[in-house]
Amino acid sequence: MEVKVEGGDEFANASYEKICDDTFRDIGLRSNIEQVYMYCNAAEHVFILSVEIGRVPSPVKVWDVTQREGDKLRITDEKYAPKLLALLWDKYGERVQQISRLVIGLELKDEEIAEVMNLIVYDPREDLNSRVLDGIDRILPEGARVRYPMPSTAGITIIASENPIAEEWKEKAKEIMRKMASSKGGT
Amino acid sequence: MYKIMMFTGGVYKFHELKETIEDIGGFVLQEMVMQTETMMHLAFPEEEERRIRNKAKDLGGKLKDLPLAGAEIMIVVPSLGNHHAVYPMCDIAEFLRRKGAITNMMGLARGVGKRIAQMTVQEKAIIEECDAAVFVFGDFKECIEEKAPKLCEPLEVPYMIVGGPPDLDIPHYVGGVGRRTRRMNRKSDIDKLEEMAAAFKEVLNEKIEEIEEDPLAASPLFIKEMIEMTLPPKAGEEFPVVIHLDGLRVKIEEGDEGRVRDIEIGKRKLSEISEIKKSLYEGYLVKIQTEAVTGGIF
Repeated sequence: MEVKVEGGDEFANASYEKICDDTFRDIGLRSNIEQVYMYCNAAEHVFILSVEIGRVPSPVKVWDVTQREGDKLRITDEKYAPKLLALLWDKYGERVQQISRLVIGLELKDEEIAEVMNLIVYDPREDLNSRVLDGIDRILPEGARVRYPMPSTAGITIIASENPIAEEWKEKAKEIMRKMASSKGGT
Repeated sequence: MYKIMMFTGGVYKFHELKETIEDIGGFVLQEMVMQTETMMHLAFPEEEERRIRNKAKDLGGKLKDLPLAGAEIMIVVPSLGNHHAVYPMCDIAEFLRRKGAITNMMGLARGVGKRIAQMTVQEKAIIEECDAAVFVFGDFKECIEEKAPKLCEPLEVPYMIVGGPPDLDIPHYVGGVGRRTRRMNRKSDIDKLEEMAAAFKEVLNEKIEEIEEDPLAASPLFIKEMIEMTLPPKAGEEFPVVIHLDGLRVKIEEGDEGRVRDIEIGKRKLSEISEIKKSLYEGYLVKIQTEAVTGGIF
């Protein structure tokens, strides 16, 4: 993830670079974001944050997080256990039982088990938007409550201020979006 | 003037230290015994420091100076959202506590932003109940410059501003902190907190000098002792009486207010030498009047 902050003084720019970096790391999106650009104009209280989303991991399937042991499944990544159990119970009901903390018993036919292995447990794309927006909300100064979002194909740009947002800043945001797109090679 | 220090050491013969303090007219402000370890906050006349140091040395304990002891400080942040809390607010509060101060933390209801930042009358009154305030602001020079006169300058208590930009032409300002996403536990951070505590001591000294010039009718330490004799602290109760530089905060139930008013301090009652009012925040505030107003009490 590439972070660039401009517009503030030296201290503020360095500090916000660190805040962007830490915030996206905290919510686990650091590797999914290509670049972040922030423009700070504290004198007029306008902040523009542009995030370009990069590669998003492919959906996690049952065989990614479990190991088949006959008619049982051993969970190898416990982080996905609640989602996996909910999914199987929803689909097969009482034919699926949690035998122990990491072992799931299946009373299913062989072809059904093969089908189970290909089910999607978690798709990172599902909540990507809300996670990115949460990150942006944590980064932008709390007082800048007037927001103007400008989505694009590759990401989102948000203008935030405590005052009504003037056309001039919308133009500036468009310019930033163009720059971000051209630095990537055009989207 | 009393000097306040912290003693840490073993329990062996530590009652002897307590006796020495009582002999020289000092007070034990706080005492904590943790199995074989003890921690005490002691207040004693400045000129007796050598005697206490010798005693502590005999017992094999350590004495640490508490430059901010005897003061209750309010740490004020623009809001309690995750933009301003918990870092660096809690690091600052913790560091001031290590220097002996009692700290409270407060997030303003509408303190965020630049133009829209404001402080209510009640918030101002709550902050003024404490001896001093520390405002923790963010990274932008323009915001701090606009907020300082609006939020901090109207206060009638000493204050300090902690912010991001290293150099700002604002009174009582310490820079280099700003918004943080991690704990301030590195060497450079600790040095910065030390610098901040030293700057805060200077701010507090203004008030201490003011009180020394026009001394109080009785020391808050002495009044604390008298209150605790009448209303002994209940088991497990933390800081039922908090010392201020010019008074006390007494955390008592409503019915006990009369008993506190009638406590005899020398020849006078507490209510005659101090103003007692209900705190907007917690307990009752006792503001001791100066000797010039009350006359001699002994």
